[in-house]
Amino acid sequence: MTGAFSTSELMAVVMAREFRDGEVVVMGAVPALPLAAAMLAKSTHAPSLSYIVGGSGTVNATPIGLTTLSCDAALAPAPSALPLPEVVLLEGRGDALDVFCAGGLQIDAYGNCNLIAVGEWAAPALRGPGTVGLPFLPATKRSVIYAMDHSPRTFVERVDFVSGPGHPASPDEDRTYRGEGPSLVVTPLATLDFDPTTRRMRLRSVHPGVTEAEVAEATGFEPAPGPPVSETPPPSEEELTLLRRLDPGGLLSG
Amino acid sequence: MPGRFLEAEEAVAEFVPSGATIAVGGMHMTAAPMALVTAMVRSGVRTGTLVTSPSASLQAELPVAAGLVDEIMSPYVGFEDLGLAPRFRKAVESGELRVVEIDEGSLTHALYAGAGGIPFLACPPGVDLTDIPRVSPELFRRVRNPFTGDEGWAIAGLRPDVTLLAAAEADEDGNVALGRFPFTDRLMALAARRLVVQVERTVDSGAMAARAPGDTIPGFLVSAVVVAPGGCLPTSYPGFYDRDEGAIRTYLKAARAPETLEAWLADLTGADPARGAEDS
Repeated sequence: MTGAFSTSELMAVVMAREFRDGEVVVMGAVPALPLAAAMLAKSTHAPSLSYIVGGSGTVNATPIGLTTLSCDAALAPAPSALPLPEVVLLEGRGDALDVFCAGGLQIDAYGNCNLIAVGEWAAPALRGPGTVGLPFLPATKRSVIYAMDHSPRTFVERVDFVSGPGHPASPDEDRTYRGEGPSLVVTPLATLDFDPTTRRMRLRSVHPGVTEAEVAEATGFEPAPGPPVSETPPPSEEELTLLRRLDPGGLLSG
Repeated sequence: MPGRFLEAEEAVAEFVPSGATIAVGGMHMTAAPMALVTAMVRSGVRTGTLVTSPSASLQAELPVAAGLVDEIMSPYVGFEDLGLAPRFRKAVESGELRVVEIDEGSLTHALYAGAGGIPFLACPPGVDLTDIPRVSPELFRRVRNPFTGDEGWAIAGLRPDVTLLAAAEADEDGNVALGRFPFTDRLMALAARRLVVQVERTVDSGAMAARAPGDTIPGFLVSAVVVAPGGCLPTSYPGFYDRDEGAIRTYLKAARAPETLEAWLADLTGADPARGAEDS
C-alpha cells in the first residue's frame, strides 16, 4: 500500500517515469521538480540517465537535499560541469540532449509555451520574466512540460507569444523539427499528451481524487479526444521512499 | 594597461558613462555584481541599454526600480523561486521601459560574436519558431546560408560599452579569478570595451598561477578592480556566502508600493558612508 503523498511528489514521480535510461535531461530555473524526477529516475529505472541543471551547467549534481535554485552552490559537487555557453552550444546542436523540461505562463493546445508576455508584446497585460533557453525546445529530442498551475489562464487555445515552440498547429505550418516536440504535460491535476496525428493536447490521466470534469473546467481549450482516461498511477512505496530520501527538507511534500 | 584598484563609486565615475550599453554579469541570484550596480544607482548613472546574463535578478531589477534604465536586453529578469521581478514587470507593462527581446542562446552567440570581432552569427534552430526575431528586428535579420541556400536568422554581434562582473579574487596586477560557476561572465568580459570587476578578496600572483586556464581573466582586459567582500549580497557568491533570502524578500515586499520602494532605495543609497565622504 502507498501512504499519503503530495501533489508535487506525484508530479515528480510521473516525470521520473517519463525519463528513459541513457537519456540526457536539461532543466532550467526553479529546478526542484525536474531535479527530483531526474535523481529519482537515475536511482530506479534509469541508472545511466544524465541531467544538466540550468545556469550551473552541472551534470549529475547530487546536492544534499533538493534545491529550488538553478545556480545554487549546493549543485557544485557534480562529477562534471559545463560552462553555460557550452550548454547553449549543445542545446543548439540538439543531438546530444534528449529531454528539455519546460513550462510557461501560458501553455497552449499544441504545447507552445510563453514566458514573455500575456497580451500584446509591446503593451503587455502581464510581462513575464523572459524565455531563457526555451527556443531550443524543438532542437532537442523531445520536451516535457510541467506547470504548477492548471487553470484556463495558463492552459489557453493559443499562446499570445511563442517563446518555447511546441507542435505545429496545422500540417500546413512550415516547421522543421529535429525532435518530436512536447511529449508529456504534467500538472497538479492531470497528465496530458498529444494526438499523434493532429498534435493537439489530449488528456491522458487524472490524478487520484481529480475528475475529468474538473480538468476540463481548468483547461482553457477543448482537448483532443483520445483513448479512455485512466487514473495517474500513484507513487509506489519504493518511489516515495527514494524521493523522500532525496528531499529531506520536504520541498515537495509541503 | 593592467586594471587599477578603485572604490566602487570611483570606478563608476571613470568607466560607466551615462547612456551607455552596460552589461551586468551573474546568473539568477548568484554572483550579481551588486556593489557596482548599487554604486551606479547611488551615482544616478543612466543606462542606455542594460544587457544582462541569460538570467538576471536584482542586478537588473535595482537600476530599473531606480528609474535609471532606458532599455533592457535580457532573456530573463526575475527571482526564480521567489517570483517575478516587480518593478521590471511594472515598468514594461506601463511602457516606461523598452525591452529588446532576446533569448539565452541568441545572447550567448551575440556575445561570442562581439568577443571575436564577428559581425553576426547564424542562429541555431529553435528561435526561428518563436516570435522573438519578429519583435527584435534590431538584433535579428534574415540571412541566406551561402553553402546550402537555406534562409534563416542571424543575430548581430554585441559589444557592451562596459561590463560589470563579480569575481572571487584579484591579484595585484588586476588578474581576476572567477568563481565556481562561470555562467556567461567570461563572454561578457571578452566582448566588453571596458571591464570593471568587483572581487571578494585579493591574493598574491602566485596563488593565481595555480588556476586552470579558463578560470582567470587577464589584467590587461580589466579596467578597474573593486575589492568588495560580500559585494554580491543579497545574491550569493558560491564558496563565500549564500543568498540573503530575507533581504531579497524585504526588497520584494518594499517594491509593492511606490512609498515603501522609495524608502528602500533611500536606505540603500543613503546608508553608504563613502557617499558622505565623497560629497563633503
